[in-house]
Amino acid sequence: MTMKVVRGNYVILSLVCLVLGFMLSFSYEYTKSRVEKRTITDKQWNKEYEYRQLLIQSQKENQKLKAELMSKQEKVRKMEASLADKKKAYSDLATEAEQLRMYIGKVKVRGAGVEVTLSDASYIPSEQSATNYIVHEQHVLKVVHELLISGAEAIAINGQRISHRSYIVCNGPVIEVDGTQHSAPFTISAIGDSNVLASALTIAGGVKDQLTGDHVVVDIQQKDDITLDPIFHTNRE
Amino acid sequence: MWLPVIGFIIGIVLGFSTDWRIPAEYANYLSIAILAAFDTLIGGIRAHLQNVYDENVFFTGFFFNIILAASLAFLGVYLGVDLYLAAVFAFGVRLFQNIAVIRRIWLAKWMEKREKS
Repeated sequence: MTMKVVRGNYVILSLVCLVLGFMLSFSYEYTKSRVEKRTITDKQWNKEYEYRQLLIQSQKENQKLKAELMSKQEKVRKMEASLADKKKAYSDLATEAEQLRMYIGKVKVRGAGVEVTLSDASYIPSEQSATNYIVHEQHVLKVVHELLISGAEAIAINGQRISHRSYIVCNGPVIEVDGTQHSAPFTISAIGDSNVLASALTIAGGVKDQLTGDHVVVDIQQKDDITLDPIFHTNRE
Repeated sequence: MWLPVIGFIIGIVLGFSTDWRIPAEYANYLSIAILAAFDTLIGGIRAHLQNVYDENVFFTGFFFNIILAASLAFLGVYLGVDLYLAAVFAFGVRLFQNIAVIRRIWLAKWMEKREKS
């Protein structure tokens, strides 16, 4: 009887102890996990905030740098473009200068064109009227003007290049071009579109007809290759 | 004699090895229940030492106190009154009183033993 009671005692006590132990450890575990969670959360929160701030800061910096980079790239691109433009302009200018040199006769030019030869009339009826049968400077001028109007790019008289500053004057029996005397026959070479030049000269009632009317023998020849020497500044400063 | 200790250890192991977790709002009930369990256990030890121990009283008191404390806390939550504080107070005071009684009894026994020897 006593043994039984004691045993029952122990069993019940054991059960109570089991429940108590379970509750204790469970509560301990639970509290620990909760506290851990909370402390970790607190720490993490602080750290996270810190890192977030850092991240935001670096992102801001990145953004700023990116914007700067973009603006700089834009600048570089603009500079490159302007450089290219300048280069192009330079080369254009060089080409233009070359062309202009060609126009003003500083360099040798070569191309297709026409050659107009003005000769005195072969038959002169009388000595008095001889002056009506020879080539005068106005005839040469007419031809030169006509050629210029028709788009001649370079003109030479008897191989002497004339420029926009040239003069052609009558000097007795000869014609003086820029201080150099030339005698008949005069060969006027012009570089340009040979067809246009030739047809401009030979148009009905045009220069050729007028010259022929003045008893000048006009010979127009289209040439594929005419070379004109540059102007020599012999008589001009 | 070793059976309660073994039971206690098994309970602890079980508590540590359980995976399920109670929601945070029931943490109060758990603490109250633990307090009640402690109170009952200490009260039982005191009764045993004073030779007024009753198995049925102890056994029913253990679970009844736990349930009552939890119910009180539960009611307190729904009434907006911190009734679990009453349980904490009551159990705490009784816990200290019982422990004091146990200490005195043990002290008296020890003194008696020393005088004898």
